[in-house]
Amino acid sequence: MSEQIAFWILSAIAVLGALVAVRKRNLIHGVFALMIFFAALSGLFLLLLAEFIAAVQILVYIGAVGILLLFAIMLTERVAGDDGRRMTSRGWFWGLVVAAAVFVVLLLPAIQQWPTPEVTQAPDPSVEELGHKLMNPYVMTLEVLALLLTAALIGAVTAAQGIRKPKEEGSPE
Amino acid sequence: MSLELIRDILVATVPLLLIFPTLFAFTTWLERKALARIQNRIGPNKVGVPLTRYGGRFSLFGLGQPMADGIKMLFKENIVPRDADRLFHLLAPILALIPAMLVLCFLPIDFPWINNIQDSVKAFMLDGAVIFFFAITGLNTLAVFMAGWASRNKYSLLGGMRAIAQMVSYEIPLVLSAVIVVMMVGSLNAAEIANAQAGWNWFVFTPWGLAAFIIFFIAALAETNRSPFDLPEAESEIIAGYFTEYSGFKFALFFLGEYIAMFAISGLAVTLFLGGGAGPGVAALPWLSVIWFLVKIFALIAIMIWLRGTLPRLRVDQLMGFAWKFLLPLSILNIFIAGSALHLLAGGRLAGLDEKQPILRQLMEGANPLVVAGLWIGALLILYVAANGLNQLSRAKVRPREYKYAE
Repeated sequence: MSEQIAFWILSAIAVLGALVAVRKRNLIHGVFALMIFFAALSGLFLLLLAEFIAAVQILVYIGAVGILLLFAIMLTERVAGDDGRRMTSRGWFWGLVVAAAVFVVLLLPAIQQWPTPEVTQAPDPSVEELGHKLMNPYVMTLEVLALLLTAALIGAVTAAQGIRKPKEEGSPE
Repeated sequence: MSLELIRDILVATVPLLLIFPTLFAFTTWLERKALARIQNRIGPNKVGVPLTRYGGRFSLFGLGQPMADGIKMLFKENIVPRDADRLFHLLAPILALIPAMLVLCFLPIDFPWINNIQDSVKAFMLDGAVIFFFAITGLNTLAVFMAGWASRNKYSLLGGMRAIAQMVSYEIPLVLSAVIVVMMVGSLNAAEIANAQAGWNWFVFTPWGLAAFIIFFIAALAETNRSPFDLPEAESEIIAGYFTEYSGFKFALFFLGEYIAMFAISGLAVTLFLGGGAGPGVAALPWLSVIWFLVKIFALIAIMIWLRGTLPRLRVDQLMGFAWKFLLPLSILNIFIAGSALHLLAGGRLAGLDEKQPILRQLMEGANPLVVAGLWIGALLILYVAANGLNQLSRAKVRPREYKYAE
């Protein structure tokens, strides 16, 4: 019973957050609404006993992606974000159709095994199990991914730095 | 939801919400007093026991000062700038307090009353407690940015931007130094980490643990915007940074959030490196572990206050250079050292370890003392040389200062 209540509250917050994130003209408000959506999603993961995904959801989506979005907005000219320009909305019908189709496809696994079986114990990929899997069979994958990300990071820094002029104009950071 | 569950949740959370704000009040007094003594002043010494006729007679070193401050804050006018974003201006101080309060429940403090409640309510027993801690403390950044942006004040915005850059940069060495402890224990569970250091097996007594602790403490100072990393609120440069436009109780909330965050991060440092509640006499009297935990937290806070009274503020480029060119490489090297040391200690036994027991303790049991001593000295030497080398490499080149707008 209490799980049901929590589920509906969290779902309502998530849907409202997502709606506000899409509808708000003010970019910063939009980003924070998106973060509320992420936080509610993390709560839903917790409700599904997937605590690791819940923590990573906060860590990555709110802590990293959200902050990155804020940074990106601060670097654009429309910092305030609330000017009166309207977004064009031609083709909203087909957009709606595609969105609905994607939604149904995402729901397919759940629809197929309706009514859903009740799960009472923690699902198998607990934090411990995940750790064992990451450190034993998938350690090479993990390392390759880490290397790839490091390369991307260094590449981004190099690209952002541009070509250094011979006369070094000091611009620390 | 059963009544028992609700009771357990209340028992687990309400004392935290009472104890730490009380400690906050005491800490503000401690900080003012200590700073005053460092600066050869007396500090608050007048406000005494309330409701006595002559407060001065029972002034108790000015211990009533926090109460007077609190009452003053409550009655102060709440000023919101005309152009401010009213909603965010209101939400920012609340958002600053919530994550700080939330992470307190991940600290494995053995309060006597939590022994009777079920394990599922104890957040520090979560398998991913340490990850959760870092995830939620990261939310503090958002509150700071929100405050800076909502105030519509250029100094606030500058402070907010500084805060984001600083917190994002210093979060990496913070987490990487916690990784060392996770390697030595083999668990992310805060209670298990604290238990692994029972007796005097504190992780700060290993060379890599010592280095990680120092890195962690420095990064924690930056995360909580403490001096010498108080650039987001640098008075002489940007007034008060992100809370320039805050007054009254909203200001007090920011203050409270900052200090609770200090408690939380010090508590994590105690859990990870300083043995949690371990200390003399704990085996005989279990409740002593709470006292030891709080004493260790206050020892770290005292060091923070001491540093604030002693060190000048960093420059922005120094701040960034220090995080990315010094702390980050050193903490990565530290992970390598810890890994190799554990491997050498194990000598091929790593596969046969019991997963439920702390890794380091199992390795130490059958280890040759000579090998251990050699490892300790070698690791310390490598870390010392590396720190020195990085210091030389990362030092900002000092050029003669150019004044653009002044003669």
